[in-house]
Amino acid sequence: MASRQVVGTEPAYREPSHWCLTPDRRQLFICDASGNAIFIFDPITGAPLGRKRIADPYQLGYTPDNKYLMVNALRLDFVDVYDGATLRLVKRFKPGRWPSHLDFSPDSRWSFNSMQNSNTLVSFDLASMTQRWAVTVGETPAGVLWHRGKVLCCIMGGRGFVEVDPVSGQITRRVVTGDGAHNIFLDTKKQILYVSNRGPGKTGLTALDPVSFQILRQYEIPGGPDDIGIDPEGNIWICLRYAESVAILDPVSGHYSSIPVGRSPHGIFLNTMLRQPGRITAERI
Amino acid sequence: MGLDRLFSNIAGYMDQYLVLPVLFRLHWMAWDDLAFDWCLICVYGIFAVLVTYAVCLPLEAWRPVERWPDNKAVLVDVFYTFLNRVGVTPIVTFVLFYQVQTWSTGLLVEHGFIPPTLDSLVPGLFGHPLVTFLVYALILDCADYWRHRLSHSFRWWYALHALHHAQTQMSFWSDDRNHLLDDVISFFWFFTIGLLIGIPPLQFPLLLMAMKFIESLSHANIRASFGPLEWLFVSPRFHRFHHGLRAAGRHSCNYASVFPVWDIIFRTADFRDEYLPTGDARAPAALVSGSYLAQQATGLKLFWQALGKSWASLGIGRAAS
Repeated sequence: MASRQVVGTEPAYREPSHWCLTPDRRQLFICDASGNAIFIFDPITGAPLGRKRIADPYQLGYTPDNKYLMVNALRLDFVDVYDGATLRLVKRFKPGRWPSHLDFSPDSRWSFNSMQNSNTLVSFDLASMTQRWAVTVGETPAGVLWHRGKVLCCIMGGRGFVEVDPVSGQITRRVVTGDGAHNIFLDTKKQILYVSNRGPGKTGLTALDPVSFQILRQYEIPGGPDDIGIDPEGNIWICLRYAESVAILDPVSGHYSSIPVGRSPHGIFLNTMLRQPGRITAERI
Repeated sequence: MGLDRLFSNIAGYMDQYLVLPVLFRLHWMAWDDLAFDWCLICVYGIFAVLVTYAVCLPLEAWRPVERWPDNKAVLVDVFYTFLNRVGVTPIVTFVLFYQVQTWSTGLLVEHGFIPPTLDSLVPGLFGHPLVTFLVYALILDCADYWRHRLSHSFRWWYALHALHHAQTQMSFWSDDRNHLLDDVISFFWFFTIGLLIGIPPLQFPLLLMAMKFIESLSHANIRASFGPLEWLFVSPRFHRFHHGLRAAGRHSCNYASVFPVWDIIFRTADFRDEYLPTGDARAPAALVSGSYLAQQATGLKLFWQALGKSWASLGIGRAAS
């Protein structure tokens, strides 16, 4: 029986945020942006394995072919591309203000990065290491997800997300989910899209049909919902940034309980995700 | 529920129901993350003032050094306190510090240097937050000792700092009674230190509050010392000696804010068991008992005059006159 208690705490320099798994799934990288470091953990046991100094890592991810590790340096306005094997800096882009979230095309050719304070979604060609396009998508874009041949990008200063054509950079659809739509995830098992809405006012999760984008259900959860994880029983674990806790939501009943975890929980990794075949990212859970 | 969590929850509600609607309406949602930090600063600030009030008020009533016919002169200090601890000042400071720290880090990173944090540099600090905090606190307090001592050494600087010393009814509210320009200088002073050692602004809020509490308590109108621990923390007696009439101006003592060790090391400590009347005999009335604006204007005027004298003593401007 799971205790749902904090079983251990590991120190970081400043404020840990997002995570990614190394291609061999043996290391979990956790960003500490203002500490200018990546903390490395064993993804199964949570044991610390070391740390690496990297400039302002806020959000990061390996390209699907594992060739590159891309890091969004939100404070410093850099998008850094590191060699996936050596972690040597290969290219630095300065595409706008506050690079926030990112995702890739499945063929690893293109990346899509939201610029939180430039109101743009930017795409890079990783073969030529050039910027392909930048499109104004709305105020304060955040979460990015490659989804069925399109790119979805949450608009935190708006009420939902936009669907963008990855080739032309044109907005093809706007979907309303709630005020302050922050991040977007795909439940790969049940094929449900989830959007975390930060408010103002009512905050929580919106569940959507992945094809029609029709809203299936709204879950009201206060406390600044951010990243989510899904356990094998189907419960949704939600980081509540401003409530110092992680909520565990039963998506069937809509009830949730919460575990106090400490200041500003941001990203969440459940080691049960390692059972999942294929590529594991924070957005595909 | 721990204090830390309680404060975060209050700040969370404040953010969600008061600040976020404003940010959303003004199209400033990019500042969402930092808005929560602003709320935390306000919540901690309010709590700090309440705790200080709850502890110091009964102590001042119980063992006052002086009894005053009325507390009118204290009221303006109350205004300074709220402005500095809860109001605009900490938020502006926080935003400015964030912006400059970001800019300078970006500059260093572009030149191939990733600035380390203090706890990544000094062996034994990482993973020991209390020790890390103590090191940060000692560095900052030492920096503050020298800022304070220098503010008594330069004529133009003391002209600003005189506002702090002019109060003849010194109480726990007097800690934040400073000229705005003096605050700006302090801000840049700590800014530089902060950038050098990489201060995490909100990593230790409760401990920072404890330090601010000691500073407030040291100004309180209380006949009290810390006995055998007098050398460890600045007591009301120790700091009152610094505010004593005869200690105003250039030849003062007991400059430390929290840890008297700096006065001991740099030979400016005076542990005499005396409770002196406070104030600065040369301070004009507007500086002593004027309104907030009158104090600020007078301070600025004195600063300008002192600056002229300093320049004249250096020979600057003589040819023109």
